[in-house]
Amino acid sequence: MAGTNAKRRDSSRTKLVLVVFVFALIWAGLWFRAGWIQIYKGPLLHALASRQNLAAEFERGERGRIFDRRGNLLATSVESKSLYIRPLEIANPEQAKRRLAAILGIPAAVLDKALGSRSNFVWIKRQITDKQALAVEDLGLAGVYLTTEHNRLYPNGHLAGQVLGFVGVDGAGLEGVERAMEPRLAGGQARFVVQRDAAGRRLYLDDMGREMDIDGRDVRLTIDSHIQSAAEQALAEAVRRYEARAGVAMAVQVKSGEILALANYPFFNPNIYRDTRPELRKPRALTDVYEPGSTLKPFLFAAALEEGAISPDKIFFCENGRWRVGGRTIRDHHPHAWLPAHKVLRYSSNIGSAKIAQSIGAAAYHRYLRGLGFGEPADIGLSGESCGLLRGPEQWRTIDLATIAFGQGVGATALQLARAYLCLANKGLLVPLKLFQDPARPRPEPRRVFSQNTADRVLAMMREVVQEDGTGTRARIPGLTVAGKTGTAQKASPAGGYGDEFMSSFVGLVPGEDPELLFLVLVDEPKSNNYGGVVAAPAVRDMALKSLAYYGRLPDDPADQAPAQAGQAGPDPAQAVLAGQSEPGALVPDIRGLPVRRAMELLMRKGIVPKIKGRGMVVSGQRPVAGDRWPGAEKKGQDDVFILWVS
Amino acid sequence: MNPEPGMNKKTRASGADRWLLLSALLLAGFGLIMVLSSSGIMAERIYQDKYLFFKKQALFAVLGAGLMYVCSRTPRKMIYSLTYLWVTAAIGLLFICALTPLGVSAGGAKRWISLGPLSLQPLEFAKPALILYLAYFFARKQDMVKTFSVGFLPPFLLTGLLCLLLLIQPDFGGAVFLAGLLFFMCLVGGTRLGYLLLSVIFAGGAGWLLISSSPYRFKRLTAFLDPFKSAQDEGYQLVQSLYAFGSGQIFGAGLGAGKQKLFFLPEAHNDFIMAVVGEELGFVGLSLIFLVIGFLLWRGFRIALDQDDLQDRFTAYGLVLILALGFMLNLAVALGAVPPKGVPMPFVSYGGSSLLVSFICVGLLLNLSRRAR
Repeated sequence: MAGTNAKRRDSSRTKLVLVVFVFALIWAGLWFRAGWIQIYKGPLLHALASRQNLAAEFERGERGRIFDRRGNLLATSVESKSLYIRPLEIANPEQAKRRLAAILGIPAAVLDKALGSRSNFVWIKRQITDKQALAVEDLGLAGVYLTTEHNRLYPNGHLAGQVLGFVGVDGAGLEGVERAMEPRLAGGQARFVVQRDAAGRRLYLDDMGREMDIDGRDVRLTIDSHIQSAAEQALAEAVRRYEARAGVAMAVQVKSGEILALANYPFFNPNIYRDTRPELRKPRALTDVYEPGSTLKPFLFAAALEEGAISPDKIFFCENGRWRVGGRTIRDHHPHAWLPAHKVLRYSSNIGSAKIAQSIGAAAYHRYLRGLGFGEPADIGLSGESCGLLRGPEQWRTIDLATIAFGQGVGATALQLARAYLCLANKGLLVPLKLFQDPARPRPEPRRVFSQNTADRVLAMMREVVQEDGTGTRARIPGLTVAGKTGTAQKASPAGGYGDEFMSSFVGLVPGEDPELLFLVLVDEPKSNNYGGVVAAPAVRDMALKSLAYYGRLPDDPADQAPAQAGQAGPDPAQAVLAGQSEPGALVPDIRGLPVRRAMELLMRKGIVPKIKGRGMVVSGQRPVAGDRWPGAEKKGQDDVFILWVS
Repeated sequence: MNPEPGMNKKTRASGADRWLLLSALLLAGFGLIMVLSSSGIMAERIYQDKYLFFKKQALFAVLGAGLMYVCSRTPRKMIYSLTYLWVTAAIGLLFICALTPLGVSAGGAKRWISLGPLSLQPLEFAKPALILYLAYFFARKQDMVKTFSVGFLPPFLLTGLLCLLLLIQPDFGGAVFLAGLLFFMCLVGGTRLGYLLLSVIFAGGAGWLLISSSPYRFKRLTAFLDPFKSAQDEGYQLVQSLYAFGSGQIFGAGLGAGKQKLFFLPEAHNDFIMAVVGEELGFVGLSLIFLVIGFLLWRGFRIALDQDDLQDRFTAYGLVLILALGFMLNLAVALGAVPPKGVPMPFVSYGGSSLLVSFICVGLLLNLSRRAR
């Protein structure tokens, strides 16, 4: 018994070893197959899997927003749904046509054409309302698709329009900040991999949120909406009053070089950029080169003082208003005989200036102009900036030195002029201008152009221009000292030589003793008057008053509280701006039934922030009612200019 | 039949196979991680609790480890003497599941018995019961094993009954599994090769009839041959499984980073969990699992070979078979080497019954290893 059992044990042992061997073979075979699938077939299978996991679904991140220095929204994106179809996927075109026509309210004939198309993709309607989108979604029709689109909205209308620029149909920034900051603002697209599950849902894993951040980043400017608005009103007023062609206004913080306002007239509303002429869209302050005229003179004086060529009391003979030099005659507006240097600036004598220029020579004068940044872009980060026109001193003839002394025969942008004045205001240090607060751009170190003593003396002369019997008296602000300089430049005519067109300008520094704010106004081709002291100085005063009031820095003298334009006829600038924004003649449309978001969008494009009453998503009532005129500026400041009832 | 102490100097008083224990625990721990990885997103979406399956599996792992210890310590005599009880219980459970309202239907098949929040899959418990019976039978009826009526019929009838109850559910894969167990037990147990061959032909014929009579099974069979032809229908599961393995390539997408479990791969935490392993850990990770599995089976087979007593040897062999067939069939299905059948991966796949039974098998093997030779 024991023997047979042992024999059986041995036979079962043999068979068991055989089974072990079989399983070892299967085990090795499966291992090999795993390797074959994973390594040999892997790349192909992976590609196939990716196609289903990451189906041709690409989405665009939301474009970054643009803020002013105080966090006020200047540009944002709003989401809207658009409807397209793939005609070949639609099983029952007749039914689809009926339902879509009912929801969207578009003629059946239009749908017929779309449904009959052999194309793989046909837009039916873009930017439909949320209500319509929901209704279409509920239909659940095969071949009918909704997609999300982002539209750019500029809530303040034309405010800083040219600075902000705009975004084209394909979502790329085409001008201004939108263009310059395109890589930062633009939402990601190509790199975004949408992980989808089998049901086609986008996957967000818990708190991880999106697996990749595709939204564009925000941009913050140094612009202050309030001061920008004040600058635009003052500029519009000046340009309209003197029937000028165009204008530029700037406000800059002296110590930091931060641009608080950069206004270009005529205004440009990026919300409706399609309806505007291209030349309106460019920021003139950057792109247009002007001969600055007398506003260049303080730099000549500073150079001469720095070189020791003059002292403020050195006397110059001003030839009684006419002086022949280099074969040409130069003139003064008000003839003078003998003037001390500081009065040459105060009265803006061209002849006196030309003589001062001769005393320091072309090479030195040119060196200082270069040092002040003329001929070199201000580089604030926007594209299209011109570097002005400053020829080398070896090309200057005698007459050139004389005219460049009073700012003719040299070209500069408004930005360059502002930067050069910042140097005088900053005690001789050239501080670069700044438009972008975040992201901060690398900026050159401030460089010293003049000694503090020189800068102080020129500043004192500039105070005389305003505070004494100079050319800039209309920029005075009682209770406060203002330093400034007027400019009345003759414009070169296209035919050559100088014509009858002028460029009136004024640069003001406030307060005059230790400037904190710089204001600059250029008015291009004013009609009824062309003196910078008449045309541009009041605009600077207006801007300065509003800015100081905004900062709570207005002097306490009760006489100062009188409006800037007291006693003068003319429309209130605020009203003028608002009227321009509201497109006179257009009447209030019926916005009942619109989703609140769309209604807000519509009204904000008109520059109106409506008051909302009730809770809900859809507008049920409005005041003013449809057909009324848009509320005018007389209601400005009230918070019930436009009321929406929602439910 | 027990060897006398004096004759066997190599007898170890209590030396349970620590290597077997270690590899089993490694697999079970690894399985827990993979269940979490493969079920988390699905559980979050459907049950709002991404740890739901993980928690259940962890509970069963603790229960299973306890059961393993009990099985390794219980005297074998007691287990063997209750063989008929185990078999009766298995038949009873399968009967309840297939033919009474207590059976829970899922996906058109009644494979579970509901026990409150948990459910039990009788098939899993039928496996060790059948093995205990077959080991007992082949050891005791060794002398008559070559005869037809005594040596051949009883095991085939019993297995046939279990298979029939499974087919009623219907669970074709489960029936094939039990038939496979019977086949390998007969092979070693000493059944006449002629009978065995005949029964294989007979079973094959019956299987073919079953397959060809059901369009569903037939389609699944043909889909297996060229899954990409019907990637949206019958071949879907296999294609998704191959996508997963293929996406893993050599080093894998990283633990938790698999994409196929995002509702593309059905039963990702269950029968196709190895596809998730392949995708997330790559061929390198999968190879490590192959090594652990190979090592575990080798230790198991060695325990069987080391047994002197026939019933001990057949029992050990059968228990290893349960694990080996589970491992191999599951991997073969996931890798598309055999037609798809629902076979869980022992220790790794989500499923309480499967995990408990795997632990029971290892526990009994440890029990046998302690007193081997």
